[in-house]
Amino acid sequence: MVPHFGLPEFGFLLRGLQWTVLLTLVAFAGGCTAGLAIALLRTCGHKGVEWITRIYIGIFQGTPLLLQLFVVYYGLALTGLKLDAFVAVAIGFTVNASAFLGEIWRGAIQAVPRGQTEAAMALGLHYSSRMRDIVLPQAIRISLPATIGYLVQLIKGTSLAAIVGFIELARAGQIVSNQTFQPLLVFGVVGAMYFVLCWPLSWWGSRMEARLALASQR
Amino acid sequence: MQDHILIEMMGVQKWYGGYQALRNVDLTVRRGEKIVLCGPSGSGKSTLIRCINRLEAIQQGSIVVNGHRLDDSIKAIDVVRQDVGMVFQSFNLFPHMTVLQNCTLAPIRARRISKTEAEATARKYLERVRIGDQAEKYPAQLSGGQQQRVAIARALCMQPKVMLFDEPTSALDPEMVKEVLDTMIGLANDGMTMICVTHEMGFACQVADRVIFMAEGQIIEEGAPDAFFRNPQHVRTRQFLGEILAHH
Repeated sequence: MVPHFGLPEFGFLLRGLQWTVLLTLVAFAGGCTAGLAIALLRTCGHKGVEWITRIYIGIFQGTPLLLQLFVVYYGLALTGLKLDAFVAVAIGFTVNASAFLGEIWRGAIQAVPRGQTEAAMALGLHYSSRMRDIVLPQAIRISLPATIGYLVQLIKGTSLAAIVGFIELARAGQIVSNQTFQPLLVFGVVGAMYFVLCWPLSWWGSRMEARLALASQR
Repeated sequence: MQDHILIEMMGVQKWYGGYQALRNVDLTVRRGEKIVLCGPSGSGKSTLIRCINRLEAIQQGSIVVNGHRLDDSIKAIDVVRQDVGMVFQSFNLFPHMTVLQNCTLAPIRARRISKTEAEATARKYLERVRIGDQAEKYPAQLSGGQQQRVAIARALCMQPKVMLFDEPTSALDPEMVKEVLDTMIGLANDGMTMICVTHEMGFACQVADRVIFMAEGQIIEEGAPDAFFRNPQHVRTRQFLGEILAHH
């Protein structure tokens, strides 16, 4: 007998949603930390270091995310390192996010007017203070719309984790759909769940963008 | 004798790639001296003062500030920057900080004094540039003239031995030029050593001990304002003065 889409199935989707959110949070937190390091190295003024980070960003932006997930999950397994599916995709998404966020923030750091750094140097402030107190607070404001935009992409992108057998929201939807033969209903609910996650963020991002545009006109 | 000398530049040469911005510049500044630097755009006057606090590196020659020779070491650059205050054409206030925070950041971070002490000093200097009642505002809420006065107070909070001014009134609306110049005149009267890149010749006449004219990266002529304006020796100087004074 084929089960109908009911509360247990909905509960299964909710658990998938939980994993999607958790994976997003881990990848975003890890991506932010590593991305900040990438952005700082990318703008440090040392030619060699800047080149290495440029190559790092190039590799992860220039190859499919799916391929990167395969490399982490299957590739590392070949070297004897057997990772849990969640750990593997979390690593894959973190590394990928660090490249994208690093590039977004590199642009934002360079968008802070040169005069800000010069004034800070003239006042005798060191690199760490110049970055922490002057450049980064302004760069983060500049980059906020793009960063939120990337977060939305990341939430939706986590559905790729299904490929290596990790049961997040999209994969959970597929399973329920196969059991119930109600794909329209099931994927409708799945879509609605993604929407509820993403739309408020997108709205917040574009509001932020409008506010920044207004502020720069003044 | 040496004690009287605050800044000594000798044989300074600077290139931007193939372009030579400073050609064999010698300049000695005594304590308490007020110097006005003028010259056509691209003559190297801004570059010259930006070399004094090492915002620009030089390729040849030497710069000694308050007895400390400026080389490439971070320590030397640090020591010199603590002694040298700078005011920029475009103010360069930190837009995400209040006026007070703008003034206390460097003393707290670079001089490592307490927040209370830094705020007391900052309020004193903000009072002195007549902007004490705006301490809690953000730079964007102030007029250009007020912002530039905050920038002067911010530099003073580090208690520098010399103040560099890089065209401090060039970005201001005409009605705000006077309030900034008045502040600078007050500072000069208090005995501050100053090097000002400016085309405000009235200011030069009133406060400068020496006016220096630069062209093509060289010091062409210098003298007391009286002699400099009344009887310039060089053709280039006469040309330049003719051009800028025609507008006054």
